[in-house]
Amino acid sequence: MEIFIAQLVSGIALGSIYVLLVTGFNLMLLVAKIIQFAYPQIVVISMYTCWGVLQLTDNKFLVILAGIAVSIILNILSEPIFRKITTTQGVDINASFVASMGMAMVIMDIMSHSINYGFPVAFPSEWVGGNLLSFGLITVSKGQLYALIGSIIAVLIFFYLLYRTNQGRFFRAIAENRFAACLVGIPIIKTSVFSYFIVGVLGGITAILFSMLIGSVSPWLGEFVALKMLAVSIVAGLGNLKGGLVCGLILGILETMAMGYISGSWSNVIAFVVMLVVVLIKPQGLFGSKI
Amino acid sequence: MSEILYYFLGFTAIYILMGWALYLPYRVGQLHFLIVACMAITAYFGGFAAREWNWPFVLILFAGIFMGAVIAFVFSMAIGKAPCFTVVIVGLTSVFIIKTIIENWRLLGGTVGFFHIPTVNNLLPIIYILLFVVGFLIYKIDHSRWGRAASVVFVDSEVAVTLGVDIKKLGMFFQIMACAIAGMAGILDAFLVNSLSPEFFTFSMIGYLMCILFVGGYTTMWGIILSAFILQGIPLLFPSEIASWRQVIYGALLVIIILIRPEGLITRKMLWGLKPKVSYNK
Repeated sequence: MEIFIAQLVSGIALGSIYVLLVTGFNLMLLVAKIIQFAYPQIVVISMYTCWGVLQLTDNKFLVILAGIAVSIILNILSEPIFRKITTTQGVDINASFVASMGMAMVIMDIMSHSINYGFPVAFPSEWVGGNLLSFGLITVSKGQLYALIGSIIAVLIFFYLLYRTNQGRFFRAIAENRFAACLVGIPIIKTSVFSYFIVGVLGGITAILFSMLIGSVSPWLGEFVALKMLAVSIVAGLGNLKGGLVCGLILGILETMAMGYISGSWSNVIAFVVMLVVVLIKPQGLFGSKI
Repeated sequence: MSEILYYFLGFTAIYILMGWALYLPYRVGQLHFLIVACMAITAYFGGFAAREWNWPFVLILFAGIFMGAVIAFVFSMAIGKAPCFTVVIVGLTSVFIIKTIIENWRLLGGTVGFFHIPTVNNLLPIIYILLFVVGFLIYKIDHSRWGRAASVVFVDSEVAVTLGVDIKKLGMFFQIMACAIAGMAGILDAFLVNSLSPEFFTFSMIGYLMCILFVGGYTTMWGIILSAFILQGIPLLFPSEIASWRQVIYGALLVIIILIRPEGLITRKMLWGLKPKVSYNK
């Protein structure tokens, strides 16, 4: 029972990170109509930025600012590329997926060559924080608590923006019917660029919380996380924000449960096999696709 | 023949086969990365069968092709008509699952790798004969009613349905063909290198295959031949300091080609332009 509770706590913390990733990914898909496969790699670069700034200064506020700023800048820099694709080819999700895969390859290879010769780097223990609660096998670390609370706050603010503000109304209108949104005077390009900005902020927050949770970063982390992010989106239903919340949490819990009871890297296989079975049985996703 | 040229020609042929394996399902708009998983399975199967059971090469080759086809058939029952990204996810997760199984299975060498696969005499000519046979088959498919049906499905699946095209059967057919070719490529790869490593079957390989397909041109089979030779030649043509950044080059090429020339280097329109024109002037 202790193992179960310990793994459940870890799973919820990890799942909350996946929720943030999937939310950002789905927002780009709904508003900008692109599959941004390089989004986890941008998150990893933000994590490296946090690590770099931590090495230079001890100012946590600066670290957070730098992490979010890098994520926003990289996201907005990718906007003209995707806009050119959608302008010349119409809204073609395949083309955006291919382009984002190219970007992911570039980012991953640059990171593996330039930072610590491609080896993982560890965050200082003051950043990760120690254990807050310890009861037998059940431990709750500061990183897990920050990840959970940070994710909840970020998601709540995001959904408030989406459902209670004009900008959110614009996002939903474009997601529903881009042409009709244009007809009623919603600025498509400006809203699309703003969506990149929001996704950049989400990406920066994800990077900070993820670094606190796992305490290290490597160039290959993006590839691993990208696969999970894409799988969770497909299992939930492409573009389904609420479905992404549920499935992200479920994946996190499934993964940590498997890690707790099965040795080696089989735990990841279990999670992926479950997702594969769900995708094969219900290709449109558990909660239905929104695109 | 020098060793460099031998392996360059060998690997280029194998990547052309894999590029064609990716090209076939993409004719109906599906990015079928299951081919990489099939290649891994058959490569390890081929190596194991040759080293431990002393099977002859021809038997292993046919077994590999059959195995690839069966794996594709099982999956295509569910994803024959699935949306593109469902097929992408099935492929990516399958690659990851297979890689993890191989890494954790001591019988297959685990993370260290699988070595001492017996050599086959005259392997390079055999590879190129198989390449020509597969190329001929794909040319025939492309110019058959299946190829024409695939073209319609790619442009508009609803129109294809109204024209009587069975999209699921067509998708299944292309997926099975693709994985059969990938199965063959896996066997040839195992015997070419005489060793295997799970690190070979990763995201980098998927990115490389996508580069071959989209840079060469996804509308015809000929662009893949050109792009495979060019991309495989990059590590040989450039100095080692630049060649070590080849993933950056491949990724950048992929983005640039999508922006500037989305159909790739060799397009169908270009090939039509090469056909001799009929003149009606007397």
